Amino acid sequence: MAHQSSPRRHLVAWAFVTILLIIGVAGTLVVPIYARSTPKLGDFPFFYWYQLLWVPLVAILSWICYLLVRSSDAGAASSAAGGPQAAAAPGTRPDDAGGAL
Amino acid sequence: MTHVNTVSFTVLVVLFVVVTFVGFAAARWRRAENLLHLNEWGLGGRGFGTFVSWFVLGGDLYTAYTFIAVPALVYGTGAAGFFALSYTIMVFPIVFVFAPRLWSVSRVHNYVTPADFVRGRYGSRGLALAVALTGILATMPYIALQLVGIQAVLTVMGVGANSSNTFIKDLPLLIAFVILAGYTFVSGLRAPALIAFFKDTLVYVAIIVAVIYIPIRLGGWGHIFNAAGTHLAKTNPKTGKPFGSLILPSAGEWAYATLALGSALALFMYPHAITGVFAARKRNVIRRNMALLPAYSLVLGLVALLGYMALAAPGVPALVKSHGANAQLSVPFLFQRMFPSWFAGVGFSAIVIGALVPAAIMSIAAANLFTRNIYVEFFNRGASAANQTRVSQFVSLLVKAGALAFVFALPKTFSINLQLLGGIWILQTFPSIVAGLYTRWFHRWALVLGWAAAMVFGTIAAYRVPTPGSPGSHFGGSTATVPLIGHTVYIAVTAFVINLAVTVVLTLIFRALRLPAGTDETQPEHYVADPEPATAAPVLAGATADSS
Repeated sequence: MAHQSSPRRHLVAWAFVTILLIIGVAGTLVVPIYARSTPKLGDFPFFYWYQLLWVPLVAILSWICYLLVRSSDAGAASSAAGGPQAAAAPGTRPDDAGGAL
Repeated sequence: MTHVNTVSFTVLVVLFVVVTFVGFAAARWRRAENLLHLNEWGLGGRGFGTFVSWFVLGGDLYTAYTFIAVPALVYGTGAAGFFALSYTIMVFPIVFVFAPRLWSVSRVHNYVTPADFVRGRYGSRGLALAVALTGILATMPYIALQLVGIQAVLTVMGVGANSSNTFIKDLPLLIAFVILAGYTFVSGLRAPALIAFFKDTLVYVAIIVAVIYIPIRLGGWGHIFNAAGTHLAKTNPKTGKPFGSLILPSAGEWAYATLALGSALALFMYPHAITGVFAARKRNVIRRNMALLPAYSLVLGLVALLGYMALAAPGVPALVKSHGANAQLSVPFLFQRMFPSWFAGVGFSAIVIGALVPAAIMSIAAANLFTRNIYVEFFNRGASAANQTRVSQFVSLLVKAGALAFVFALPKTFSINLQLLGGIWILQTFPSIVAGLYTRWFHRWALVLGWAAAMVFGTIAAYRVPTPGSPGSHFGGSTATVPLIGHTVYIAVTAFVINLAVTVVLTLIFRALRLPAGTDETQPEHYVADPEPATAAPVLAGATADSS
């Protein structure tokens, strides 16, 4: 593509992604943080609502990572697209409902 | 004593018939020019977008494990069972990193299985064979878990359960099984993909209603937690210790964290999970799904809480106790006691169909492994695409039969151990697959030997774990104390550490000896490629075997 895909920007994006993903894993990996009953949220002990809260958090983290990677990936992918066999068969498959996203 | 509830049973049968029809009709969905090709039969044409992939992966990853095994563990032990929630939280950030690379290189080289990739990357048939055999072996107990889930529902419904004749007793399970085998055979991956829409709708409806309606009937969450806590604090007559606790004791933290991490690392090594990834149309479909799939994790967390509701629901613990204290029955009994018959039927259907969809995908994935990496590789190098597909179709039947053997052979105190046993094995392919996506530093023979050491260790360690309260029994759990650190750890993780240590040391030695490293048919740019979806017809047959 026309714009230059600066390797530095790529690196910064991946550094961010790595940090965010490590946070996503560590959030529930470090059990002593949340193996307790207080503070409660409503009737839920901390142990339960803390983990349930991480479900939407990890979804948001992954989505941010997707957006970061998508912009920095675009340059790399367009130059590399098409291996030995993929190039032989250009796709004509119609999109499914989600393909338009 | 228990009599079959006609309304629930009718709902289940009707929904099952609908699913069967959809399964067979799926062969015509997104119709391929030639279904007799593994890209079509085994990967649904490799053309699923974000929306379909979300259903396929969700239908694939959230199984009877979620609906029966996890709440059973929570019912029986309390907080310790919630490691599954932590596992499904951390799995997506982990997979986000490597799955797109695996997808890209596999699309470029037309790989159908993870072992195809290993074969191409390391030029090693032996290592590919190790990966393929592990995948087939580890999938069988996982399918077995699905069957145990279906059995639990049928038992609670009283279907066949009154008969003392074993054949009649297991007949409904066998019928479900044969029909599953039939449409998998005919439609391949398209069947579970299409049924997954139906299944997930049922699941979401059943679970949302359950977590709103049941707490209201039981007098609120506070009461549920209190009642569950009281139950868990009672002494288990088998072990002489409390059943469990509402908050994880510090002694259980290592097991909790390693079970979660080990399961998360292992999940996308399973052939069926990789099949779900390979079926995606574009690279970013996978990344988007890593952000969207946690919606199912929320369901898993809520379903796990059903274990507590079952403890708090009047009559349910007594029913479970009178049925051999089989904790797997807790959620089906909860549905039966709390819901009107027709909605209980919907809930039962969600569990049964929720077990059949992944069982189909798992058997397809295991069959592909056999065909590509054993049959074509070692027995019939020139097999045509149609021939490969035929072999896969038949092997998908055999894999299901192997799963039945696991159902009958292993203890079922906690069916989650079936999945955890599979995890011990499948995690040992992680170095070959995931490290291979980034580096060729590891020597192929070192990877084989590291894998072998870990497989032997893991299997022996799991064999030696007795069922709680019956010393001398085997395969009764998946955690063991690690001598040096003195903590209880998931055996898969211990074996994985051994695997890495052996692989690293031997790689250093083999590289010093300059043993042949094998040819690598991949290029760095293949790992980030995003080629247009290929149509099935012109694609090479048996790419790995022929492309040398």
